[in-house]
Amino acid sequence: MPSEETKERIIKAVDLARVVAHYAWIPFIIYVGYTRSNPQPSLIKLISPLA
Amino acid sequence: MSVPTPVVPADVSPVSPPQPAPVASSSSSSSWPLGSVFNRFAAWRKSLDLPNPGTVENLTKESKQTLLNNYAFDGARADLSKSLSMNPMFQVTHSFHLGSQTVPPTYHFGAMFANDKLFMHGNVDHDGNLSARFNQGWSATNVSKVQAQLSTQPGQSYVQMEHDFQGSDYSLNAKAVNLSPADLTGIYMGSYLQSVTKNLAVGVETILQRQAPGLSDLGLAYLAKYTGSDRKWIATAQVQAPGILQASYWQKLSEKVDVAAELQVMAAPGRRDALATLAARYELRMASFRAQLDSTGKVSAYLEHRIAPTFAFLMSGEIDHFKNAAKVGVGVMIESSSLTPEEMGMVPPPGVPVAPMPQP
Repeated sequence: MPSEETKERIIKAVDLARVVAHYAWIPFIIYVGYTRSNPQPSLIKLISPLA
Repeated sequence: MSVPTPVVPADVSPVSPPQPAPVASSSSSSSWPLGSVFNRFAAWRKSLDLPNPGTVENLTKESKQTLLNNYAFDGARADLSKSLSMNPMFQVTHSFHLGSQTVPPTYHFGAMFANDKLFMHGNVDHDGNLSARFNQGWSATNVSKVQAQLSTQPGQSYVQMEHDFQGSDYSLNAKAVNLSPADLTGIYMGSYLQSVTKNLAVGVETILQRQAPGLSDLGLAYLAKYTGSDRKWIATAQVQAPGILQASYWQKLSEKVDVAAELQVMAAPGRRDALATLAARYELRMASFRAQLDSTGKVSAYLEHRIAPTFAFLMSGEIDHFKNAAKVGVGVMIESSSLTPEEMGMVPPPGVPVAPMPQP
């Protein structure tokens, strides 16, 4: 059984990971899609609903 | 249905390396007496030639696709999806939904990336709530999945980790929901589905809820699935411990018509409830139409008319005869793409003139 201090640290790390995932997931998908796409699209087409 | 999801698990595993047969040579097994028994058992099992029963998650997939519960909406909605690449698949969607009686107006932005092994999807609404999915296919029969709902309000988030394994005649699945690595609390689910004859598969699902260390609750559910010999009809049943029964029946009447029936019975002490639903789906060349009737007096219909390859018109309606209420929804689905039809790998159906894209 881990000590209380380790538990605190694990909980903090999980919370941090959750916040990172929350803000970075969509930009990450867009980055991966943008760099791997074939042919590479223009950035304005990516974001704007009308272009 | 903001994002077409045919690629979800099916597309994760189109490359199928042939599964190595786990049969050891007889000379090595003679040194270990149990080995020959195991090999004989494995050979006998192989000789039965049973099909894979499909996953537990997809047990009622066919009837769910025929019922319109997952499709119905009210108010007005517009889905603008943009395919930026076909291989690997990369797509962004903007969905607007307003004028609904039950939910306030929403805007969702979605991004999806998929290739042979990987599937990533994210959907964020105007409040910053994110729903994320990540599937990684290790081989054709091994898929790991993570699903998360991350909310800006504390306590609304959940993370689900899952692994799917499909053997030659069985399927295994393990899930952990809201697993906390500090004290191992969370909800754990394991399921096993095994084909016993060419038509019948039976399975069991266990749910272990561990709210706090030392406080856990185990639940069991039994599953059965019977598939007709020509795969034209499927009947399933699920029984859960406190008296919950779910049964479904799906039949393909012809190339274009499917029907489905679903029954949910809850016979727990103190609460008795049942719901029966009957639905039909017509899949026509340019449109699909669903109609549904249930035992709470609701009649509903859903029409999806694909007027052009990139434009679809949706109409959804529901009348509740017992409560005397009605819901109507209208929607459009617009697919804009910077790619030519050839690049998308799309061949226009013969006889349908494809309108040329207006070029700036």
